[in-house]
Amino acid sequence: MKRPSTYLRRDVAGASDQAMTPMIDVIFLLLVFFVCTASLQIIEQILPSQMSSALGNETADPDIPPPEQMDFDQVVIRIGWVDNLPSYRINNEPVGSLDLVRERLLALARVKVDVPLVLHPDPPVPLGFVISAYDEAKLAGFPKVSFAVNPTSRK
Amino acid sequence: MQAPRYSLARKVGINMTPMIDVVFLLIIFFLVSSHLVRQETQIELPLPIAKSASEDKILDVPRVTLNVKSDGQMFLAGREINIERLEPHLRELREQKGDQLEVRVRGSRETPYNYVEPIMVACTKVGIWNVSFAVYSKERSQ
Repeated sequence: MKRPSTYLRRDVAGASDQAMTPMIDVIFLLLVFFVCTASLQIIEQILPSQMSSALGNETADPDIPPPEQMDFDQVVIRIGWVDNLPSYRINNEPVGSLDLVRERLLALARVKVDVPLVLHPDPPVPLGFVISAYDEAKLAGFPKVSFAVNPTSRK
Repeated sequence: MQAPRYSLARKVGINMTPMIDVVFLLIIFFLVSSHLVRQETQIELPLPIAKSASEDKILDVPRVTLNVKSDGQMFLAGREINIERLEPHLRELREQKGDQLEVRVRGSRETPYNYVEPIMVACTKVGIWNVSFAVYSKERSQ
């Protein structure tokens, strides 16, 4: 009696189908995993802040002349917190909003971009506003932006 | 009687299916566990937004992540720490990891500056100059 000729071919084809199924399952599982994690997590970035050795003792000098005199050796941005709103002062001169701070910094950067810029936020100022001011300083092109800190500050 | 020949014609080989299964299972395990480890040190915080932020490309630098909540609670490597213990801890870490140590501050955008300022003071006191802030480059869409 002759064996059916299709037996072997069917067996091989069946085996290859069987081998592929779990792999496809797992690949889809991985795909779902990546899609879920990618959509849930926003990509975090960094804002580097190289601190100078003098930073620990640095404080803002309130008697710095206004920038119109063009003889400034540093730019100090004071950020206050009044009525739950930030208030800005650049070299002791009040500046209404962050947009005006940006304009002012761009104007200063056109005159003297390599001047050190010191951010001096008041203690209650939320970090978001501090980082926004820092961001504006970086975007204006100031290469040396540092934070004024009180060495004795302890909470 | 002639012996059947089909048994010889059959291919004899290793079944790859279980190996592929196990390999993929391992991949999933490592992916999930690394994700969980990362979640442990990264508390969900509304980070500040900065347009000048850059992607974190330097991966081989020793780094510690400090999470600061809006009420001033600090978490170093997933464990709560207060400012009094932070400075000696950072000093110890700096001695272990060297002067390349980076401190990454993940502070909520509502955290008052007086909670962040002592961290920077502590870093400068122990000689850590590489301090960075974790930010988002755009507002998170809810």
